[in-house]
Amino acid sequence: MTIVLDPTAGSNADIATPGPDAGPLAGKRVAIRIDMLWRSWDWVSQIWAEELRAEGAQVEFWRSCGRTGEEGRVAAEEYAAVLARADMAIVGLGNCGSCTSWTIADALQAAATGIPTIAVATAHFEALAKNLARRGGRSGLRLHILPYPLDILPRSEVDDIARNQYRSFLRDFGVRSGLAQLSAA
Amino acid sequence: MQDFLVRGGRFPDELIAHLPPLKTECTVEKIAINAVMAGAPPESMPLLIAAIEAMADPKFDLAGLNATTGSVVPAVIVNGPVRNKLGIPYQAGCLGGVAGSAAGIGRALRLIMRNVAGQLIDSTSQSVYGTPGRVAGIVFGEWEERSPWAPLAERRGVKGDAVTVYGAMGTANICDVVADSAEGFLEIIAKSMAYPGANGFLTSSAFSETLCAINPVWAEVIARQFPDMRDVQAFLWDKCALPIDWWRPEYRKPIEALGRIKADGRVHLVPTSDDVLVMVAGGLGGLHAAMLHSWGTCLTVTRAISE
Repeated sequence: MTIVLDPTAGSNADIATPGPDAGPLAGKRVAIRIDMLWRSWDWVSQIWAEELRAEGAQVEFWRSCGRTGEEGRVAAEEYAAVLARADMAIVGLGNCGSCTSWTIADALQAAATGIPTIAVATAHFEALAKNLARRGGRSGLRLHILPYPLDILPRSEVDDIARNQYRSFLRDFGVRSGLAQLSAA
Repeated sequence: MQDFLVRGGRFPDELIAHLPPLKTECTVEKIAINAVMAGAPPESMPLLIAAIEAMADPKFDLAGLNATTGSVVPAVIVNGPVRNKLGIPYQAGCLGGVAGSAAGIGRALRLIMRNVAGQLIDSTSQSVYGTPGRVAGIVFGEWEERSPWAPLAERRGVKGDAVTVYGAMGTANICDVVADSAEGFLEIIAKSMAYPGANGFLTSSAFSETLCAINPVWAEVIARQFPDMRDVQAFLWDKCALPIDWWRPEYRKPIEALGRIKADGRVHLVPTSDDVLVMVAGGLGGLHAAMLHSWGTCLTVTRAISE
């Protein structure tokens, strides 16, 4: 008798819902996870932070750098502390393979705490981001997509993209505010 | 399968690691199935298990490595008597092409990455080019018997049979026909390793490592002047650098922001001499060294191979 064995392994259970909406912004503490790779994400998140503050939110940035060894251990502690202080989290940027992997990993960690969470990636890495979110057990993870290529654009163009996409970003995040509702109408 | 499981010395359903990107369970049975498919010898099961354990260490950042746009593959370096028992190459042709078990063992690890971890190009892996090492791995040993220094794994705290996994952006050759001194050999190696597109110079990496394999002929000459490996590493680290003026002006700001421009205006490939990994391998034809550049902030991991 021949027995065929399966060389593959199955994936985890899935949470297909996006989690809680961000809701009203006034008085909320928003954590924005940035990185040391993408200047364009620094620019986009700076503009979005200004807009969020204008709507009454408090914004705290956290920059992901080395994630292995002793530096990685410290980073993990810092990130956990940032999430503990936050009412919602914006996590980016998925703009390469490994950084998308870390973006989704950090977004999944934030979502697992129960706070409204959205990951941000560029269009070329959207499929990877969705795949990793599904593999990570949360296919419903909120995702906002920026155009690709992004990082090789001049700042003025990136700033325009950030401003133009702010309202759709709010909608993806489930924000209930005057600006978001205005744009949705 | 039975033979592989027996040689592995573990229960089939024993969990060895959760492997990203799928984050699925890699059991002894899954390792054995893929090893059979790859044509690895049953005796390699302890090595395969140790290698998977090492790759799953968070220091190794397998989640990033398996997803990256980079062309990286975990290189597997074997130390100890198990090299000869398994026929792991460490002499002529050790990085590819010599007959032996390395291709089967390497292929087994690649199949595990594909079938269990779920690393698939254009799905979970974004590697722009890939690398030949992703087909049958990079599996080689250290020629300990011809090395004037302690084995790599022993210097990393593990004596005897051991496996070291290193995130390698492929292999590249360094050839020289002029040098006739320790400093001459080391300087051409170091300067060759310091090419501007190397991982260690990227401003997106907070830190990195680098690895070179020195042939036994050169190693003997080098050890006469540098009997202590730490001095070899220090020399290589010092010469493995580029002047900041070499880069275009727009590079200065991000490099400077990382605090990487030394007082003498040079930028070193890796932060410290400890981050320069050195081993002895290769044929007696001399003339060549091999450099294996690292990827991201992936840190090398060494594990004992337990029978």
